[in-house]
Amino acid sequence: MTTHVSDEELIKRAKKGEERAFTELVKRYESLVYSFAFKVCRDEEKASETWQDTFINVFRKLHQFDGRSKFTTWLYSIVTNSCKMKRRRRKLDQASVSIELPPESHDGSDHDHSVQTIPSWKETPLDSVMDKELRTVLDEAIQRLPYEYRVVFVLRDVEGMSAEETGKILKLSVPAVKSRLRRARVFLREQLNPYMTA
Amino acid sequence: MKNKTVRCHDVLNHICEELDTKLTSAKCRELKRHLEKCPNCTAYLDSLRKTITLYSTTPKPRLPGKVRKELFAVLKLKA
Repeated sequence: MTTHVSDEELIKRAKKGEERAFTELVKRYESLVYSFAFKVCRDEEKASETWQDTFINVFRKLHQFDGRSKFTTWLYSIVTNSCKMKRRRRKLDQASVSIELPPESHDGSDHDHSVQTIPSWKETPLDSVMDKELRTVLDEAIQRLPYEYRVVFVLRDVEGMSAEETGKILKLSVPAVKSRLRRARVFLREQLNPYMTA
Repeated sequence: MKNKTVRCHDVLNHICEELDTKLTSAKCRELKRHLEKCPNCTAYLDSLRKTITLYSTTPKPRLPGKVRKELFAVLKLKA
């Protein structure tokens, strides 16, 4: 089957029970689903389990997909539901910390330039391979971020979904998405700050 | 947002929410003016953008081949 077949056509054929159409859908979206699952779970084994659960659910529930949303939006919903169920079972995120922040302040204070200066960050290594130390810092920071903030951050800032799409996937209002995103960004920024200003 | 009441934490909160809108909306004019003269807010905005860039440019992990094989086996599908 060529890659020129549209998603709509593949979904239509897969709904009719055409195995090759379903396997083509899996191949087309396997990287997207695995990458997203890994970024949310932060663990290869959990990401693999989530990936399998997601496509088992797609196989079983494809007839429920009505095409009113994008197929990727539906996929992200299934991944996040799968992660949520796993977390309930395992009671994960024990290492997560509270990120309760004052609603109107980035760092809990109204910073005064005369007494506090925000140092500039080092240039980010966009064009070079990230060093191991930086990867560790990034991994540790996002693992400390509670799941409900992490998933919003990954959907919005890493996967590039809109606030509306993210709200639809997570069944959250747009203001709730924006609030969680703001807190997640600020939290991660604070976690990286010592490394990036050292 | 009135000019007199624009303070750094107002600016930073708004920037953080609107980071991806490139500050082009009418309500962002005051923020832009503030940013032009406030090195702290500019540094903070830059650090937020870099935070996002770092996470969005981390290498994508590859799906282990055996995971796909197991799925197809469970669903009784040919790979």
